[in-house]
Amino acid sequence: MERDSNDLLQGTLAILILKTLLPGPAHGYAIARWVEDTTGDVLRIEEGSLYPALRRLEDRGWVTSDWGVSENNRRARFYTLTAAGRKHLRNEATVWLKYSQAVTRVLRAAPAIA
Amino acid sequence: MSEARWTRYLRFIRRDVAADVDEELEFHIAMREQRNLALGMSPGSARADAVERFGDVDGVRKRLVNHDARRQTSRDRREYIADCLQDVRFGWRSLRRAPAFATAAILTLALGIGANAAIFSAVEAIVLRPLPYSRPDELVSVGTGSSGEFVALRERVRSFESMAAFVTQTHPFDDGDEAVRLEGAAITTNLLATLGVKPLLGRAFTEEEGVLGNNTTLLLSYGLWQRRFGGSHDVIGRRILLEGVPHTIVGVMPPSFQFPDKEAQYWQPYAFNPANVGFTWAVGDKRIIARIAGGVTLAQADRELRAVWPTLRKLNPLWEPGPDYRLDASVRPLQDSVVGSARTLLWILFGCVLLVLLIGCVNVANLLLARATARERELAVRAALGGGRGRLIRQLVTESLLLSGIGSVLGVALAYVALRWFVTLMPAGVPRTHEITLNGTVLGFTAAVAIVAGILFGIIPALRATTVARSAVGTAGRRATAGVAHHRIAGMLVAAEVALAVLLSVASVLLVRSFSALRNVEPGFEATTVIAARVSPPGERYRDPARITSFYSGLLDKVRATPGVRSAAAVDKLPMAQSIWGAAVRVEGQFEDGKHPLPDIGHFQAVTPGYFETMGIRLLRGRAFSDADRGDQPPVAVISQSVARHFWPNDDAVGKRIGYAWDSPWMTVIGVVADTKQDSLRDTLSTSMYVPWQQRSRMSGNEMWLVARAAGEPTSLAGVLRRLVQEADRSVPISDVRTMEMVLADSVQKARFTTLLVSAFACAALILGAVGIYGVMSYLVAQRAQEMGIRMALGASVRDVMGLVVSRGARLAATGAAVGVVAAFIATRALSSLLYGVGARDPLTFVAVPLLFLIVAVAASSAPAWRATRVDPVRALRAD
Repeated sequence: MERDSNDLLQGTLAILILKTLLPGPAHGYAIARWVEDTTGDVLRIEEGSLYPALRRLEDRGWVTSDWGVSENNRRARFYTLTAAGRKHLRNEATVWLKYSQAVTRVLRAAPAIA
Repeated sequence: MSEARWTRYLRFIRRDVAADVDEELEFHIAMREQRNLALGMSPGSARADAVERFGDVDGVRKRLVNHDARRQTSRDRREYIADCLQDVRFGWRSLRRAPAFATAAILTLALGIGANAAIFSAVEAIVLRPLPYSRPDELVSVGTGSSGEFVALRERVRSFESMAAFVTQTHPFDDGDEAVRLEGAAITTNLLATLGVKPLLGRAFTEEEGVLGNNTTLLLSYGLWQRRFGGSHDVIGRRILLEGVPHTIVGVMPPSFQFPDKEAQYWQPYAFNPANVGFTWAVGDKRIIARIAGGVTLAQADRELRAVWPTLRKLNPLWEPGPDYRLDASVRPLQDSVVGSARTLLWILFGCVLLVLLIGCVNVANLLLARATARERELAVRAALGGGRGRLIRQLVTESLLLSGIGSVLGVALAYVALRWFVTLMPAGVPRTHEITLNGTVLGFTAAVAIVAGILFGIIPALRATTVARSAVGTAGRRATAGVAHHRIAGMLVAAEVALAVLLSVASVLLVRSFSALRNVEPGFEATTVIAARVSPPGERYRDPARITSFYSGLLDKVRATPGVRSAAAVDKLPMAQSIWGAAVRVEGQFEDGKHPLPDIGHFQAVTPGYFETMGIRLLRGRAFSDADRGDQPPVAVISQSVARHFWPNDDAVGKRIGYAWDSPWMTVIGVVADTKQDSLRDTLSTSMYVPWQQRSRMSGNEMWLVARAAGEPTSLAGVLRRLVQEADRSVPISDVRTMEMVLADSVQKARFTTLLVSAFACAALILGAVGIYGVMSYLVAQRAQEMGIRMALGASVRDVMGLVVSRGARLAATGAAVGVVAAFIATRALSSLLYGVGARDPLTFVAVPLLFLIVAVAASSAPAWRATRVDPVRALRAD
């Protein structure tokens, strides 16, 4: 079960991060916490993998990073969603939602699975 | 826009990439640890849990550091390029806003850089580029000697892989259509292999062809092949007449093969003839080259040759050479001997153009300085807005690099055009001129010059401007603040410019003076109204001495009978037109003990009766030759004054006997004539011996020069001479029909070329120097208009104000001139080999040139000075 959800996460980590940044800039720890809180520990990510993923997003121009000051007055690196990132998120989310709705419909259709 | 802010931000905090990654990861773990503590974990397990949740800390860290470092590098590069482009765009705009300045600067630089590119392309092709042979660094010149010496050396010297020899020659050449005289060379059969060159078509010579009688084969030059045979491939095997003897063409050489120089049109195998002892040992005109064996250094080869050659002293069957025989033997790189004296000439010219460019740079630097002061406000604002000083300097230097870049593109175009003209102007003796091109090396050099020049003239104004800009931030660019320091630098630049121009002008004046001294040399003959023509009857056809005698006698009779001809004669070798060899002689009653080396006479000539009269050579004692001095009469000779004085200082030379060093009958001296310059006007001692043409040795060949003295303008006789020779025998080529005035002028072609170029550069330097002084004084006057106005208002006279400005200009020039004179004093020593009749430290030149510059300085500053007196005091006071 855990291994499966991790595979799932690898594919969707980008979307999760982008979604996390939608309300505003955040540092890496905040992103990790938000994912953890929102998914209720179902999607347990290895926090370390977050950072290479962020670099990849940066390289593709979906987020930018900048040093700033954290809520407890420490120097922290903040990631900000770019316009391109917002657009990408919107596209990916639409695809994802359609896909999951379709899968859900199939799974809910009779006969019920146990 | 966000990108720009981001990069600027990054510049200030540019930190170690690894430290940033560590800080980011440490922040994450610390935050998690804090939360764990808040949730009630023990301090130890709080940290451990944070690390565990994070996963592979070291692995992630390594990935991030790698990634960020790469990104940082590419970002730096992009940023740098973007900055450069921005600088270039900005520079371009600011140059377009000042078109007069930009045009002046670019033209100055284009001329300077173009001249450098042109001269450097000659230096590169002639001096620097290796010879077009295989492994050219192994090829050496061994010196000049007789074929006897050559063979002996080849048997003895171990340092060489192979040794070859050649001698230039000229022959009548007849392909059936037209008889012409061609220059060529007789080469030992191994010469091409020694150089590592193969014919383009056909084959090289075989060893058997080096035997007398077998040497009737020919290699054609590419040029001759194209010109006379239309580049046809069936030329191989064709027979043509050389000296009237049929020769078989065995090959065609590639166009790059111009050996030993560009005049050579054909090559013939050099045939050794040991039976002819006199020829083998007495004619030391074979030039010997060699390829050094693998693993042997030039120094080793040189040592061996120096040890071996003097030991050949005993081998000479003809005479006993003196104890200092061949002690001066040496092995030199072949390139050195090919380039010869052209090296000095080219480096001197190169030095001169570099000086001109330097002066141009100083002028542009001055323009930039003046401009920087005018742009003070702009720069102050830019400095105030946070453009760092480095950034500002970079901006300004980019602007000057832009100037020099545009200048060099124009300059290369100029050089391309000038080069054709320059190559045709080169004196005949300069080798390898056909190799001169604007190639990659030259373009690379030009680019380097442009960059160095751009930085050179850009950096001082940029440093200066940015200092002012910083200090002027507060005062927002009041002109007075910048003045003093600026004037000092501008003054120094002008003084430097004058120094460089004085240096060049001194060189130029020395060359001009020595050129005029050379032209005033008395050659010992009367060149005016004499015309000469080279007549080359083919040897085979005129093998019979009676036939050649009747040919020339008949020809001379017809020439003498031509209206407008005062007298005519013939000589086997014309003074100033070709080298006239001499050799050791025996003198009856002297040097006969065998202990002393035989003395040399510099030049042997065979002449017809009437030669001395036609050439205007004074007969000092005895008689000249007459028609009675035929081949069957007792041998006689006429000697020049120096020879007479040397051998018989207290006695009358007439009636004494003299002879060639080799076995030959005595000749009785019948007359003494004045010394004449034979090889060049620079000859210091010119000893000559003349023999009657019918008594000359057979070695001399059939060729003679007709000389005719005209009653009036001699050029009108050229056509007549051509026609008469053609009528006498169409197989006899006539060439080099020139007046003696032209022959003399050609003999100083190199001096004229050098003088012309250096003088042109000196003129450029003088003009640039004058412009520089004018510019700086104008600027100074404009800057100090206020002061001038006040002075005038306080009662200073026009004379006072003019004096103030002019004396400042003169002081600058005097300082520069003093420095220039000292520099010239040292530098002109390099010229000494080119000078004639004037010392490298000629006092007149060293006084006159600085004086000239003082006058120029006064003239150049008097216009601004006059403007200074026109300043309206009231306006001047209100101005700032």
